Amino acid sequence: MDRMYLRRARNLVMSVMCMASAVVVIIPLVMILFYVAADGLRAINWGFFTNLPKPVGETGGGMANAIAGTFTMVTLATGLSLPVGLMAGIYLSEFGRGRLREAVRFLTDVLNGVPSIITGIFVYVLVVVAMGRYSALAGSVALGIIMIPIITRSTEEMLRMVPKSLREASLALGATEQQTVVKIVLRSASGGIVTGVMLAVARAAGETAPVLFTALNNRYWNQGLDQPIASLAVFIYTYGISPFEDWHSQAWGAALVLVVMVLFLNITARLVVRARQGR
Amino acid sequence: MSNYFKDWRLSGLLAVMLVAGLILAGCGGQQPGGTTGTPEKVTLNGAGASFPYPLYSKWFDEYKKKTNEAVTINYQSIGSGGGIKNITDKTVDFGASDAPMKDDQLQKAPGELFHIPTVMGAVVVTFNLEGVSTGLKMSPETVAGIFLGEIKKWNDPKLTSINPGVQLPDKDIVVVHRSDGSGTTNIFTDYLSSVSPAWKEKVGKGTSVEWPAGVGAKGNEGVSGQVKQTPGGVGYVELAYAVENKLPYAFIQNKDGKFVEPTIESTTAAAAAAAASMPADMRVSIVNPPGADSYPISGYTYLLVYKNQDDQTKGKALVDFLWWAVHDGEKFARDLLYAPLPDNVVKLAENKIKQINYQGKQLLQQ
Repeated sequence: MDRMYLRRARNLVMSVMCMASAVVVIIPLVMILFYVAADGLRAINWGFFTNLPKPVGETGGGMANAIAGTFTMVTLATGLSLPVGLMAGIYLSEFGRGRLREAVRFLTDVLNGVPSIITGIFVYVLVVVAMGRYSALAGSVALGIIMIPIITRSTEEMLRMVPKSLREASLALGATEQQTVVKIVLRSASGGIVTGVMLAVARAAGETAPVLFTALNNRYWNQGLDQPIASLAVFIYTYGISPFEDWHSQAWGAALVLVVMVLFLNITARLVVRARQGR
Repeated sequence: MSNYFKDWRLSGLLAVMLVAGLILAGCGGQQPGGTTGTPEKVTLNGAGASFPYPLYSKWFDEYKKKTNEAVTINYQSIGSGGGIKNITDKTVDFGASDAPMKDDQLQKAPGELFHIPTVMGAVVVTFNLEGVSTGLKMSPETVAGIFLGEIKKWNDPKLTSINPGVQLPDKDIVVVHRSDGSGTTNIFTDYLSSVSPAWKEKVGKGTSVEWPAGVGAKGNEGVSGQVKQTPGGVGYVELAYAVENKLPYAFIQNKDGKFVEPTIESTTAAAAAAAASMPADMRVSIVNPPGADSYPISGYTYLLVYKNQDDQTKGKALVDFLWWAVHDGEKFARDLLYAPLPDNVVKLAENKIKQINYQGKQLLQQ
């Protein structure tokens, strides 16, 4: 009896601790959302989405260029990294063999662990100095490099979760390996893959350091992909460390816009996946 | 058919994102001033000093208006050190620095660089001390002592003895200095080296030095922000940053022994005192000049441009802007608390701007 009692007590304690930890995990997120919403909403009005930033010390102005800039760069980065990441993921899960696969997997993990500022410096040397200027393109390359390992690894994990029996069934029915991968494996893993891609997009949208080194920033509209471009993350950074009250509140506004943008992307992606899987 | 359709959903979403992104990027380029018949649009990129950033951002907005949106100048305030590095790498069309480039730095550049002075500014010692406002007096020894970390309390006898009547609290001094390569730091440490042998020996001068005390912050923006948030804090920033942030600043004792308030006038007086010794390449230090009215910690800020431009359109836009800046642009200086260039310096600047060329052809047309 004593033993039973002890076990139950231990069970209870552990359960409570796990639950408490789960709550602790949520607290920062809730607080971040709360603070960002509370401070950000005050800065947001119609002009915030349509106007350009004002010169230093003048109040008002918006971040239309930064919103467009983040959108442009993340889209371009996704365009660059998605094919590579996806196919590398397929390779790792479906076709890779032996040492090469282990090497690729290991190096992908290493790439994932490279601090983003290092990626920024790397792209600065490789693209910015070579091109002779800061550009939206260089920023996108930096963000793309950050996205690739995330997409690769999540794609691989998701594909590996597809049961082997499904593959065998497909092959048994006479489907080629290509048909099996494209129509059966990728299809059934699509939900997880999209989630992985969205994680990568969200990560890229919030990166500051690599963009600072590559896309610089721009107080005006971007004049082409080979020109410097504004981004929300860099604006949050420069406005956040500034001494001006007005800029602080605009930085909160930009943070809110960034969070909502990422949230919106996430929800859209999930809806699309759900709609597909529903049929 | 329906299978294909399903397949397309995901790619469809991505395609929509891609198209939307491109449209946004495209719109962006055309959004402002889509009027027809305007001259060819030019974008110039520049980066560097944060010291003149409030003025420059005003200038570039005004100049964009003046040219009917034809010339867009994107300037990023990343610090003088960054400005020098970027113009040396040619990743920007012009750099900006408050610290004149050193000879070895100039040699590293792939072409001949001109220093075009734009305005002068004062570096002020700003602080955050409850109940103490602008006008706290500091002697050169006090300033050096504080930033050397030797004066640790606000009620140190060195401060109280020259500030009778000011209630200085028994509070720790928190030194805030720049963490990035900075022309403001160059002016400030140049001054400290010229007034304090101890400073000269232990720390020296430069765009970044090994600070014996304190915490770092990025840019004039960062230092003002840090001082504002730190009770007992003290830092050095360009005058405009202190005034705009309603931060108090100290009156500094000059070479003639007078405590001088940093103003446009006292900065101009300092420049006038140093004007006679202006060298032809305009790389000059004007700290601690003689003259009863001279504020001792001030300096020129420069735009760094290549004498030989690689691109005719951009080069032309650049020299036109420079000409405008040293003439019409100067009238914006006072409002933003910078001192306009003395006449003889404008003449020297004109001379330099005239020499800027594209394949041997002068770019400035009068």
